[in-house]
Amino acid sequence: MTDWPAAFEAELLRLGVQPGRARRLADETTQQAAETAGAPGEVFGPAHLYARHLVAELSAPAAAPGRTRFEAGPVMLSLAGVGKRYRRQTVFSGVDLTVRGGEVAAIVGANGCGKSTLLRICAGLTRPSAGTVKRTPRVGLVPQDGGTAGWLTAEEHFTLFGSAAGLVSGRARSTGVHLATRLAWRPARQQRAQQMSGGTRQKLNLVLGELHAPDLLLLDEPYQGFDQGTYVDFWQQVFAWRDAGRAIVVVTHLLHDLQNVDHVLDLGER
Amino acid sequence: MTPRPWLHGFLDLCLLAMLRERADYGYGLSQRLAAAGVADVPGGTLYPALLRLEEQSLATPSWAPSEAGPRRKYYAITGAGLDVLGGQADDWRRFRDGVDSLLSPSAVRHD
Repeated sequence: MTDWPAAFEAELLRLGVQPGRARRLADETTQQAAETAGAPGEVFGPAHLYARHLVAELSAPAAAPGRTRFEAGPVMLSLAGVGKRYRRQTVFSGVDLTVRGGEVAAIVGANGCGKSTLLRICAGLTRPSAGTVKRTPRVGLVPQDGGTAGWLTAEEHFTLFGSAAGLVSGRARSTGVHLATRLAWRPARQQRAQQMSGGTRQKLNLVLGELHAPDLLLLDEPYQGFDQGTYVDFWQQVFAWRDAGRAIVVVTHLLHDLQNVDHVLDLGER
Repeated sequence: MTPRPWLHGFLDLCLLAMLRERADYGYGLSQRLAAAGVADVPGGTLYPALLRLEEQSLATPSWAPSEAGPRRKYYAITGAGLDVLGGQADDWRRFRDGVDSLLSPSAVRHD
């Protein structure tokens, strides 16, 4: 029973809790058990089960009617006077946007107004023609399509993308599978990406973008092709990321979810 | 004692109400809940709820030594916590009055 805290912390990590936070939760939980003069296993039950219970409880929606505002964290992304031209044609200009940890920004506008281009500029994949971009080093990008290799299975993707972020294979796979279940998706072992439906491939993209626990998540209409239930899960997931202190930028052409986001950048209106 | 599923919806409300009276730590709160006859809350239910209040900035923690044994994490209610408590207390009273009116036979159909 002496290694209950270690088992608890390991399971928290496996569930995607960030290391510093997992350590704090493990320390606190041990002290809480000591308050009641019991061993952790007697007070809380098996370590891995309590870890799951705690993570689920902490990601539950706020008890408050309406929404409790979290204090915004450090600036994760900052655009100042950003513009993009292709030859003589101006796609957009003068874009200012600041997104802090714990905030969600939506980029909206009609097709062709440069939403995806702006997101790529946020990610550092495309150079702006004007203006400055500052971002946190840990960025996750979920492209609208592409980004997956057709002949690889979901778990092989987890290993591949995980190793790029310094995760060992087993850890990358278990983290990926866990993140997938949050999107109501259980990856089939033998299925290659090219055999997946469009919606499932988007879920794969979403998991890959989150695998390395980035501080800034950039999502390009990642729910296109999702069915209705999963679409709702997607926004719950966005708000869970936000409540965990991450900054999220979502490109969308749907307007009915915008009452819950912190910033709306309308490229079409400019 | 209250059946567990009932408590689930009202635990946050009870915790905030107790914290409004005074700052307290986990085990102290569980004893107060039991003494009030509300519930015997297991640690696995109580501590996640306290952490959630903390993360939602409804309660703010501070560590204090205890006379014997490990230091304790005391929670104090915040301004946001008081707002939520006020709103939830209203919800609770409406709910309680509604259930009472259904339970009391005399109130049926005569007015």
